[in-house]
Amino acid sequence: MDRSYKELLKLRRFPHTWCPGCGIGAVLKNVAMVMKELGWNYKNTVAVSGIGCSGRMSGYMNLDALHTPHGRPLTAAEAIKTVRSDLNVMVLSGDGDLASIGGNHLLHTSRRNPDITVFCNDNEIYGLTGGQAGPTTPQGTKTLTSPRGEHHSPLRLGRILTQQAPYFYARTTVYHLNHFKTCIREALLWKGFSFVDIISDCIELNGRRLGFKTAHQMFKWFDERFHIVEGERDQLQEDELGIAKAVVKEVPRPAEKEEVKPEIPMEGLKPFTLEELERFDGQEGRPIYMAYQGKVYDLSASPLFQGEKRMRCHLGGKDLTKDLDIAPHGEDLIFKFPLVGKME
Amino acid sequence: MKPRLNVLWNEIYCKRCLLCVEVCPVQVLTLERNEIEEKEGCIRCYQCERYCPDIAIEVMDEKGEK
Ligand SMILES: Cc1ncc(C[n+]2csc(CCOP(=O)(O)OP(=O)(O)O)c2C)c(N)n1
Ligand code: SF4
Repeated sequence: MDRSYKELLKLRRFPHTWCPGCGIGAVLKNVAMVMKELGWNYKNTVAVSGIGCSGRMSGYMNLDALHTPHGRPLTAAEAIKTVRSDLNVMVLSGDGDLASIGGNHLLHTSRRNPDITVFCNDNEIYGLTGGQAGPTTPQGTKTLTSPRGEHHSPLRLGRILTQQAPYFYARTTVYHLNHFKTCIREALLWKGFSFVDIISDCIELNGRRLGFKTAHQMFKWFDERFHIVEGERDQLQEDELGIAKAVVKEVPRPAEKEEVKPEIPMEGLKPFTLEELERFDGQEGRPIYMAYQGKVYDLSASPLFQGEKRMRCHLGGKDLTKDLDIAPHGEDLIFKFPLVGKME
Repeated sequence: MKPRLNVLWNEIYCKRCLLCVEVCPVQVLTLERNEIEEKEGCIRCYQCERYCPDIAIEVMDEKGEK
């Protein structure tokens, strides 16, 4: 058996801090195994985590890793990917971190579709803080904060993240190991935002309250609740394990129209000197002229050139070529006005 | 790393969660006096190693090597 994946883990920090039988260890180990197979290592990969028991995963990876504030790993990961598109960026975090406090980031990061991979340790509870009901806690589950059973229905990540192509959403468990590894591999190789929802066990703070004595009993429960579906899917039902993915079909962009600028013959135009031009300043009923790139236009009709009394944005009787370069509008505003002459 | 008949057991990494004991299809692993012990009959299916979340158990190959 190939055990070279161990070089991707900080073994000197082992044993890790998770409880006996906690599924997070399995997530860490299997992600490292697939990374090793794909040749991802500290040279080309960054791991980002949020807060929670699951958030400790990046700290055990022998990679450059980032431990962000609660709920913000996706934002940090997207930023890293934006400035260093040559790096592989993956997020290792929990369901509470990603879907509750980080829920807004999840929506918008997935919408922008950066090329990052998210591994969500979905233990259906807030583990680190003592086993409170979280966003993915199934309805009716007894937790620390819902002793009579969780009242509300959970957030269906599978629905939310498969609304709009392109998407990649995989659901798997820590018990279905082969399926789990396939999902990890496909997600890491997916170009774009990929999300792996790993149903995992928090035996100490969730399992025991539900009546399970060991992690293995929880695994058996996962096996009862979920079944694997094969093949290409674009949606997953709540009891299905599999991969739902979709790409957008490339629509050919309409060819850009080339803008044709009206070419006006310079011959036959009345020549003006700067002094002559200055007389046409709009005072005492005189028209308002201005010069632009060697041509003189009559701007008497423009509301922006109404002598001293009105909105004095611009002065008449001047060469405004330089002013126009820094103006918020373009030169097309001038071409509407009648051309009356040229500059000497 | 403590060698057993067919497995190597890391007593420092192990948290005694008993996953290996329960996933073993021939049930040769047991916890006795807080140590993982192994009986005869390992079929080398690697299930214990695959499921161990703590990288605390490794199955040796036929020659008794890692
Ligand atoms: C801003 C902020 N709010 C709340 C907390 C408290 N807190 C720490 S971990 C956690 C829940 C993490 O849950 P999850 O992401 O499911 O990880 P798990 O521990 O279950 O692996 C909470 C609410 C915090 N650390 N920071
Ligand atoms: S509290 Fe739950 S999630 Fe956290 S380490 Fe323990 S078993 Fe794992």
